[in-house]
Amino acid sequence: MSKNKYKLLKKVLFYFVLAIIIIYLLFPFYWALNSSLKTEAQLSMTPATFIPRDPNTGEISIYTNNYLAIFQDGQFVRGLYNSAIVATSTTILALITGSFAAFALGKLRFKGKTPALYTILAMTMFPQVTVLAGLYAVITALNLGARISMIVTYLLFTLPFTTWVLTAFFRDLPKEIMQSAQVDGATAFQTFHMILLPLTAPALVTTGLLSFIQAWNEYLFALTFTSIDVEARTVPVAIQYFSGALARQEPFGEIMAAAVVVTIPIVVLVLIFQKRIVAGLTAGAVKG
Amino acid sequence: MRKKLILVLTLIFVMIFTGLVLAEEQITLTIAGGAVGQELETTELAAEWYMEENPHVNVEVLDTPDLATDRLGLYLQFLEAESSNVDVYQIDVIWPGDLEEHFLDFYDYGAEEIVDDHFDAIIENNTTPDGRLVALPWFTDAGLLYYRTDLLEKYDRDVPETWSELEATAEYIVEQERAAGNEDFEGFVWQGDAYEGLTCNALEWIYSNNGGDIVSPEGKITINNENAVEMIEMAAGWVGTISPTGVTGMAEEDARSTWEAGNALFMRNWPYAYALGHEEGKATAGNFDVAPLPAGEDGQPAATLGGWNLGASKYSNHPEEAAKLAMFLASERVQKMRAVQATLNPTIESLYEDEDVLEAAPFFDSLYEVFTNAVARPSTVTAPNYNQASELFFQAVHSVLTGQEDALTALEYLELDLMDLTGFETGNPEY
Amino acid sequence: MAKSDSSNLAREEQKLAFKLLIPAFLILVIIALYPLGQVFYTSFTDRTFATARETQFVGLDNYRSLLSVTMRELPAVIDEDTGEQVVDENTGERVYERPIQVLPREPRYRSVYQFNLFGNRYVLGARTPDFIRAVVNTLLFTIFSVFFETILGLGIALVVNSEFKGRGVMRAVMLVPWAVITVVSARMWQWMFQPTRAGLFNMIGTRLGLIDSSYSFLTNTSLQLPSIIAVDVWKTTPFMALLILAGLQLIPNELYEAAEVDGASKFKQFMTITLPLLKPSLAVALIFRTLDALRVFDVFQVMLSQRRYSMASYNYFQLISARRMGLASAIGVIIFIIIFAFAILYMRALGVDTE
Repeated sequence: MSKNKYKLLKKVLFYFVLAIIIIYLLFPFYWALNSSLKTEAQLSMTPATFIPRDPNTGEISIYTNNYLAIFQDGQFVRGLYNSAIVATSTTILALITGSFAAFALGKLRFKGKTPALYTILAMTMFPQVTVLAGLYAVITALNLGARISMIVTYLLFTLPFTTWVLTAFFRDLPKEIMQSAQVDGATAFQTFHMILLPLTAPALVTTGLLSFIQAWNEYLFALTFTSIDVEARTVPVAIQYFSGALARQEPFGEIMAAAVVVTIPIVVLVLIFQKRIVAGLTAGAVKG
Repeated sequence: MRKKLILVLTLIFVMIFTGLVLAEEQITLTIAGGAVGQELETTELAAEWYMEENPHVNVEVLDTPDLATDRLGLYLQFLEAESSNVDVYQIDVIWPGDLEEHFLDFYDYGAEEIVDDHFDAIIENNTTPDGRLVALPWFTDAGLLYYRTDLLEKYDRDVPETWSELEATAEYIVEQERAAGNEDFEGFVWQGDAYEGLTCNALEWIYSNNGGDIVSPEGKITINNENAVEMIEMAAGWVGTISPTGVTGMAEEDARSTWEAGNALFMRNWPYAYALGHEEGKATAGNFDVAPLPAGEDGQPAATLGGWNLGASKYSNHPEEAAKLAMFLASERVQKMRAVQATLNPTIESLYEDEDVLEAAPFFDSLYEVFTNAVARPSTVTAPNYNQASELFFQAVHSVLTGQEDALTALEYLELDLMDLTGFETGNPEY
Repeated sequence: MAKSDSSNLAREEQKLAFKLLIPAFLILVIIALYPLGQVFYTSFTDRTFATARETQFVGLDNYRSLLSVTMRELPAVIDEDTGEQVVDENTGERVYERPIQVLPREPRYRSVYQFNLFGNRYVLGARTPDFIRAVVNTLLFTIFSVFFETILGLGIALVVNSEFKGRGVMRAVMLVPWAVITVVSARMWQWMFQPTRAGLFNMIGTRLGLIDSSYSFLTNTSLQLPSIIAVDVWKTTPFMALLILAGLQLIPNELYEAAEVDGASKFKQFMTITLPLLKPSLAVALIFRTLDALRVFDVFQVMLSQRRYSMASYNYFQLISARRMGLASAIGVIIFIIIFAFAILYMRALGVDTE
């Protein structure tokens, strides 16, 4: 009886903590949603309201034109498409090259691992704005298109990230797996491909998601590389190009609407892949 | 076999030749400019007009970010790479000095005939010390005083003509309004954040109090003077009294937001807030008007010169065509269309008497003086260090507004810093 | 026979390792080599951005002007009549000479901070006070935000890792803050911090009777950093949480089962199993969080702009507004070195073996 009570209490406490975490994580996002459904007049109302209300009557009054406006803006819709292409390609490239490098750095024996690791990390240790001019020169010299430029330059921050995270994961995998595979006569590549890769699925998905989001959100490089090629602009750039009817006017409601809309694909993506995050060392993989 | 080869070669030659001829005939020019609704639309319309008149030219409009630092950053990348992608740049009134080496001299392309039509202050601003006109005025901007007609009437007060009148009126009405239940009510909102906007605001205060324009056109550092100290001290006194403490973090849009909620009696802002404030559903709609900014006790009102100009890139593949296009865009015909359709303030004096223009923007008439007498920031004389000079200035003023420093000390240090930066001597302001 | 076999194997392994590293290093050479090399080179010149003016090689001048600091004692101001130190009538504070009297003039040093120590007053002077302040701001920001992110991230990861209904949805919810576009999220928070009751915090604060109607979070110097840290913690805790969650997956359940049999408490299990085994993933997460925090740009740029700089936002203004490319590059190199130091420090402190 008392044990049951204790269990119940624990459960209640757990869900309480969970609720607080959810509120903490989601409330600012709710505020963005709230703001996106307000007119300029409603936004500047004092005190601010938790639900969009009419400034004069105080009645609930929801304004959806911000959403209409962003979807009528061709650049925004095209931006979603461009961002999807760029972020996906970068992530895949970073995962492939990163997992190759990480396998070597985490599981194979050779000299010079530490310098190699730090050299790769060094790619990403400058502030973006510092390397921008140099990168722009490289891009111009290689004469790459805007989308390719973004895909390639985003490797600057996604590749070190994937390499380092995956190296840590590969290193943690028990040696026995590799040895047993070698005893079975598998080549190192087969070991990598058949055994290690599936085992590190959680790490791959995790780093993949995080790099994808990083690439999806990148602004400064995108702004510069797509400045001439209007067709290639990504979502963050498109949002920055939102404008009111007059110069200086900032369409805050539309920006918030865009923030809400842009977050949705990512949530869907996470929902699709989330099972993979925790599908790691279960089953008999280790013992097998 | 050989015949075939000859045939192929001739074909290639013909193709190259026709290609060259075509290329000579049909050219593309790109204007980099404002991304904003009506501004962009009217630029595109002007481009169409130009293409009709010059069928061999294809004009493309490239939109660039509305945020000035983002736009500058982008332009710098183009100019650093000596890119021929952009032929005509829309540049801020404070950039011609800093960027002059990248632009063509419009006097080489017949600007002599048109310069007299434009406001002198802007032409002067866009002319380098060695007499090159590197940018053509496109549209102008100036600081204005927005005031609530309904409230001034209710409390029977006049539109303030001096800063102390503004202070007194604001103090009184804020007290009354707050007592009447509007606890969010403020007297005066302006741009007090540490950025270029504060340079504009503070220049207006100081110049209108006979405190000079920071660095005089002759290259004398004049900022450290009694009138400037007095005025900055006065403005610091507004923070937390007639203005909210948060005013030291406000830019144009923050001020407009407070204003449009009906929570401010006065606002200093650019003309763009005029049409927006009258939009239906806003507390200010129909309840406000604009006037010249107040002045110091013995001074004249001053408005900081804003606005945008057109520069033709030296790196253009068709410099002559680029200059011609810029001249067309800055012409009376285009400026009139942009004034009527997008309320962009013309830089051509005669347009302020034009009936169509005045019908579209009635306040142009009463504010003609403000626009013609707008004070330019010392961007040409301090070039290529204007941005640094401006930063030193607004940081100094900001430190006084936030109470970290007193005005006397701040201006004393500012003077030294400006001397280090520019190598100029100090001098007395002229008025 | 057996020996040569194993050395053969080792050689083959080495060969394979190099092959696997080729793509990553190829990318590095193509994209990163020139820009990075250019930054290093430019940092030794007085190059101006976007100009044809001649560039001079200036050696370490940029570094000197950024990093030169000096500390001086401020003499007290003595009243000539009484021979005692003058006390300000309004504030009741002792009056000292102004920093400009004691700081070197050629080249000029400006005051960064003033502080009291053992009854004396000192001034810290620097040739570029804004940069020194930016370094301090960034370090404070990094230490606090990374600390809170780690604690919160670990907490959230542990909660999400336990069994409950709706776990899948929770994993998606967890990532929402990280998914909001950085530039936009900074704008969103700036709006919530608005110094009028149109802003969320002022609205809630006044409703609860905590504050006056207009509290200015982002211009009050003592609230600026806490506000920014709060924003960053919200935004990037998910990053930490997800990496830690993935690290938790690598810990075999058998270990916990065995500990359970031994009767170890949950807390003891956490200290003896979870934390030690989490170290490598934690180290990597910490390195990348710290690296991002030290380069923090968007939040500072949007919310504080030129009121208060981070190293990267100072760098941005030096490059874009002032166009001092040489100086900006030197700042980049300094950030680079600080990040390197942190990375090595973490690896050492957490005992992660890279070989």
